[in-house]
Amino acid sequence: MNKHKSWLVTIVFCAAMQSGVALAGEAGAMSKADDMKAEPFRDAKAVKALAAGEKLDILSKQGGWFKVKAGKATGWVHMLSVRKGDAKKGADNASGLLALSSGRAGTGKVVATTGVRGLNEEELKAAIFNEAELQRAEANASSKADAAAFAKQGKLVARSFDYLPAK
Amino acid sequence: MKRSVQILLSSMCLVSVSAYAFDLGELKGKVDAAKASIPPVNPKLAEAVKEIKGPSESEEIAIGRQIAGNLLGAAPLVKDDKLQKYVNRVGRWVATQSERPDLPWHFGVIRSEDVNAFAAPGGYIFITLGLYRTFQSEADLAGVLGHEVGHVIRQHHLKILQQSKLVDAGGKALSKSVGGNDKVQQLIGSGAEIVARGLDKDAEFEADRIGVVLATRAGYDAYGLPSVLQLIGHAAKDDDRVALLFKTHPLPEDRLNKLGSAMGDRFDRVKGLTLEKRLLKVQK
Repeated sequence: MNKHKSWLVTIVFCAAMQSGVALAGEAGAMSKADDMKAEPFRDAKAVKALAAGEKLDILSKQGGWFKVKAGKATGWVHMLSVRKGDAKKGADNASGLLALSSGRAGTGKVVATTGVRGLNEEELKAAIFNEAELQRAEANASSKADAAAFAKQGKLVARSFDYLPAK
Repeated sequence: MKRSVQILLSSMCLVSVSAYAFDLGELKGKVDAAKASIPPVNPKLAEAVKEIKGPSESEEIAIGRQIAGNLLGAAPLVKDDKLQKYVNRVGRWVATQSERPDLPWHFGVIRSEDVNAFAAPGGYIFITLGLYRTFQSEADLAGVLGHEVGHVIRQHHLKILQQSKLVDAGGKALSKSVGGNDKVQQLIGSGAEIVARGLDKDAEFEADRIGVVLATRAGYDAYGLPSVLQLIGHAAKDDDRVALLFKTHPLPEDRLNKLGSAMGDRFDRVKGLTLEKRLLKVQK
């Protein structure tokens, strides 16, 4: 691999890894006590100890880490130590969708023009086998080779990783 | 269980011994014919064997197909072939990383604004449009599909069917043809009720652990599934769209806690792709 190429690979690699997702100051709170780190690594320097329940703003996300602002300090906290937002009564986001999903459609028959409905036990129990729709689903199947090609297009590389123990 | 296996084994011995004695004693000279004939199989015995070993793979797929057809009867596919194909590609790639890469895997997005996902035996997996809308990257999609693939490869629903037979409730109610395979339908109860039944909490935690691992094996960032759980946990508990999900699954907070301790620092040095730009957008 020549120098040019390896540089390019590095740039692409970094772009892919470091892009992160900007989250526009989403509110959150610590779900448990944990350190704020200077960098998104577990063994990075601790900036500040954060207590459970401490409020913070989530600025961006990178892998398993959130870049957060807590008080005046900014740094990285592991995402599994953070609870996003506050569960409010009713829907504070996408509330329009909530209003439409009434749950019960009565007949159990699907009205083709409205795609919006809730799924509940009664409906699922009353559901009637739909062969045509199932065949549509089956027609969209992807072969192993097709899926592998698509993965390659996205630069995804398969690797081995052991299943996790229960504890 | 042990006892029934013992009884089963001894009765199997009896069957073969008597067949052997029969050959030697009465049908000398007709050995060839006897060899060609199949030893008598007690149908009850065959059923018992099946109950212990579980259904064959083709039966598993037939069961899943019936459940999938019923589920689609309740909520059809989103009419967007590009989206369906996309989800199938990501799903198949994730499933390929499991120990059952060659099942006829099928994935689909169904028309419901609920936030939920369903797995049926044999590799039929559906997510709702409402759930799809919560995704911010392809890694999120991969993690969720990995969770559902986990249910399929560990046969969680199949085990429920074997343990508690929904047979009676469904079987008696059915006197006329219901579409699909009537016999299989009798096994799974009414419609798609099997997917409305909660699994064991441990089965959900196990599927979560499998989900992050399969996504990681597939080259994705491991934190797709936890991100989605976090977002769902954000939803109000009285939100209709998560009613069934919360009823049939442990709460997202519990799942995140369990998953967090299982993941520990194992993923710290593992980088993966999120591919947020490749995530196919759906219309509002």
